[in-house]
Amino acid sequence: MTALAWTVFVPELFLLGAALLIFLLDSLGILRDRRVELFGGLATVAIVVALVGVLADLRFAPLASLATVPAGVVNAPWTLLGGSLVAVTSFGLVFQAIFLTSALLVSLASLSHPSDQKGAAIFFGLLLIATLGMTLAAFSADLIFLLLSIEITGISTYLLVGYTRRDPRGLEAAMKMYIIGALSAALSFFGASLLFSVYGTTSLATLGGPILYNTHFPPPLLGATSIALLGYGFLVVGIGFKVTVVPFHAWAVDVYDGAPSDVSAFLAGGSKKVGLFGYFLVFLVPILLSGRAPPGLPPIPVGFHVLIVHFGLPLQVVFGVMAVVTMTVGNVLALQQTEMKRMLAYSSISQAGYMLIGLAVATSPAVAGAVLLIFAHIFMKAGAFIVVGAVAGLGVGSRITDWKGVGLRFPFLGASFAVMLLSLAGIPLTVGFVAKFVLFSAAVQAQGWFVWLAVAGLLNSALSVFYYARVLRVMYMEKGEAVVVPIPAGAVAGGSDPPLLGVGGIGYGRAAAIGVAVAIIFAFGVYPQPVLASFQMAVNHLLQVL
Amino acid sequence: MLPILSLTLATLFVGTVITFFSGPRARYVAAGVSAAFLVEIAVMFLQFSWPAVAVAPTHFAESESYPWIQVAWLHVNYTVGIDGISLVLILLTGILQAVTVAYSWTERREPGAWFGLVLLTCLGCFGVFVALDVLLFFVFWEVVLIPMFFLIGFWGGPRRRYAALKFFIYTHVASVTMLVALLVTAFYSHSPSLDFASLAGSASALAVPTQIVLFLSLFFGFGVKFPIVPFHTWLPDAHVEAPTGGSVLLAGLLLKLGGYGLIRWGLEILPTGLAHVQWILYAVAFASIVWGAGVSLAQRDLKRLVAFSSINHMGIVLLAIALYSSLGLLAAVLLMFAHGIVSALLFMVSGSVHHTFGSRDLASVGGITPTAPALSTMTMTGALASLGLPALISFPAEFTALLATWDKLGYWVLIPLLTLVVTAAFYIWMMQRLLFGQPKGIPAGAHDLPYAEAFAMGVLVVLTVLYGILPNLLVHFIQLSPVAGLP
Repeated sequence: MTALAWTVFVPELFLLGAALLIFLLDSLGILRDRRVELFGGLATVAIVVALVGVLADLRFAPLASLATVPAGVVNAPWTLLGGSLVAVTSFGLVFQAIFLTSALLVSLASLSHPSDQKGAAIFFGLLLIATLGMTLAAFSADLIFLLLSIEITGISTYLLVGYTRRDPRGLEAAMKMYIIGALSAALSFFGASLLFSVYGTTSLATLGGPILYNTHFPPPLLGATSIALLGYGFLVVGIGFKVTVVPFHAWAVDVYDGAPSDVSAFLAGGSKKVGLFGYFLVFLVPILLSGRAPPGLPPIPVGFHVLIVHFGLPLQVVFGVMAVVTMTVGNVLALQQTEMKRMLAYSSISQAGYMLIGLAVATSPAVAGAVLLIFAHIFMKAGAFIVVGAVAGLGVGSRITDWKGVGLRFPFLGASFAVMLLSLAGIPLTVGFVAKFVLFSAAVQAQGWFVWLAVAGLLNSALSVFYYARVLRVMYMEKGEAVVVPIPAGAVAGGSDPPLLGVGGIGYGRAAAIGVAVAIIFAFGVYPQPVLASFQMAVNHLLQVL
Repeated sequence: MLPILSLTLATLFVGTVITFFSGPRARYVAAGVSAAFLVEIAVMFLQFSWPAVAVAPTHFAESESYPWIQVAWLHVNYTVGIDGISLVLILLTGILQAVTVAYSWTERREPGAWFGLVLLTCLGCFGVFVALDVLLFFVFWEVVLIPMFFLIGFWGGPRRRYAALKFFIYTHVASVTMLVALLVTAFYSHSPSLDFASLAGSASALAVPTQIVLFLSLFFGFGVKFPIVPFHTWLPDAHVEAPTGGSVLLAGLLLKLGGYGLIRWGLEILPTGLAHVQWILYAVAFASIVWGAGVSLAQRDLKRLVAFSSINHMGIVLLAIALYSSLGLLAAVLLMFAHGIVSALLFMVSGSVHHTFGSRDLASVGGITPTAPALSTMTMTGALASLGLPALISFPAEFTALLATWDKLGYWVLIPLLTLVVTAAFYIWMMQRLLFGQPKGIPAGAHDLPYAEAFAMGVLVVLTVLYGILPNLLVHFIQLSPVAGLP
């Protein structure tokens, strides 16, 4: 087992250091009246440094060495308690980059919160901690480590949702998310314990593989395979809450709606993705190892038997069904929404359904396509929430019908929002289209019943056009000015979004974040080769070593 | 050789972007771009027919190919190229872009956006006609959709929002179906890339039932754009609500995308599939022909009348394509060109009638000739061309179509032939009501065509006559295509 170089943790150290520094400065009361700029700047810089570090690892650390580093995962000896906690894989690094990008977008956008001086330290500090949890999850080689990292993110985001402490809806959302999060964690850990009882380890590389059992003891009542399946079932549900798959999605809508828009952006663009990453990490192994022994199976101790198990098909069917149900339910419910943020929340749920196609198909092209969609989703959905925050800050109400004429009154915000919605709808020349194209092509390429997943996905995309186009219609074609809600001093408009100042009334940071998101949507929509090729390479790596 | 296709795409793209941001001066930019586009089309014609550079008639000329997305399992290229069929339709695109810009010269409502969207629509159509890669084709196919959605929804009539949304949903569902079918074709036949050439080469390896299902899916995908009965209901709504310029592009170009797509990506890739379901296409074509003509007869709204007659004409196009003979394809492409010119003229006429007399209702406006002689002349030319009068552009096309139908189907030709009588009837009746008789519903101060509109329609009238007398100007080129060698 190769020892990990400590340098791979430099990005995490930066995040942690910056978070601690922010809390320290806050308690010391330094620069009290310029807190937002100070903490926001610190957080942004730390995230940028971390992102550069991760990209450097991806680009410059010779990929050959990365191929040996997953040794941490793969060559872990098949001892009962073997396996290391962490492993660096290029797949994990890619996800770290994705997580950091979403955090960067959100922290950039939040640099302009002039009215919310008090919460600055909490917001940026917790944002960093949540990001830290996500980046750690990306390194996990062990189920418990993965779940704990997800929990770090979870706990930080519960607090983030309610951090303004003024809006009862935000607090309600935080409470709801906390309870659901606790339930989800409990289920996940229970699933992990069931798996441990079967495999005697929680190393992700070993789970899902052949089951060793002692012939001196009678097999458990239901048999090892059933218990393992039950464990996986609990994990599907537990992590499913994080991914917001139907039927574990109901909380997400209230939370995205009640949280400040920037936090919703982070939840949809970032923290939800850690759940998806967890899905990939936990379930790709059993699906791919299904029915075959890995090449490195060591000699079996005397008195033990090996059971070769077939988890592949059941899990794939489960994920396939969940994918179709999630995207359909998400879209159908999004159609009926009258509130902008709730519509976006349901659309986010349906996007999770598309992403699950990658897991159900479980070929390297499909996983790469799903990763690309996850990447694209940052800019489309987090970007959209950021725009919603900006528009709310300008005094426009939160219902879709309040957005009449927004496109003409705020050309920059309107056009950006239109681009993001078109990307979500999967219209060409946007990265959202490319991602769906790759994902659905991969499903078609896998042939068999996976083609129907692609068909379901495409039909759903067509369905989703309806509600996105409706928003465009309201923004550009309906008569009448945008409804402007007068903002009384000290109060907040449109949920818990504080009014904004700065360039065009939306603040430099926010304008920059929106501009960057739009630029990336177009850039990778026209020429996706760089990201797609690197995602594909990372996924190939992961699947090869399995 | 000059990479003229990419150059043209670049011209149109840059022109569109500049137009969007040039506000009240947008029309000048748009006119400049249209002129440049026409010059580039002339260069294409030259390069295509110049003996020294012309390639074998069965190949695509001017093809350019650069890798676009390359991962182990997915090879997408930026591949463009033209043959005679695309060339003729590109000419149509250039002409219609120029006349649309001319016709809407005095557009005052957000001129930058208006002209930008018009150019963008034409950019998309041009892209569809040159793209030789599934993804590239689909991208341009969808690019057409967005500007048309806004053209209808922002500048359109009272029910524009409903019409825009209906148009968008219908055509988007259809394009999605088309994309799936093309992807399945590519991946199931293990095509080495998503290029047209490799698809056409490998698709014959598919099992026949698969080919049939795929062809039918493609037929649905392209058919909605045609539009075929029973998926035509978006068309009258879209046309009636669309602004005149939008209608011109919709009828003149967007409907042609369906026909072109069916030839290039349906018939050329899956001929076996077509061969097995020819009768379905015949049935649908006959239904569209009869239905379009019959419903036209009952229309009181001039624009609705022209819209339904489009369904009739495109039905004949479908019939000609379904014959799968070189004569049929020749007829189909000629007819698409003719219909593009003539329907554009007629939609401009109905637009002018509407804003000159305040109504398009044939029951309340009539006898306009004394007031508006020029408009009346244009109307008459358009209507006569559309009903297939010899020496006007539709005649050679329809004649060829009927001939090709006779060749393959014998007496079934009576169905389209007799419908022509109905077509003639409703156009003549329309002229009688609108142009002649006692003047009625003429508001005080109504005047003849403004210069811009007269110019745009005049160009189309000249072309109607020119190509009516010399159809060989087009026929020569249409035959320089890979499908010209069919029986």
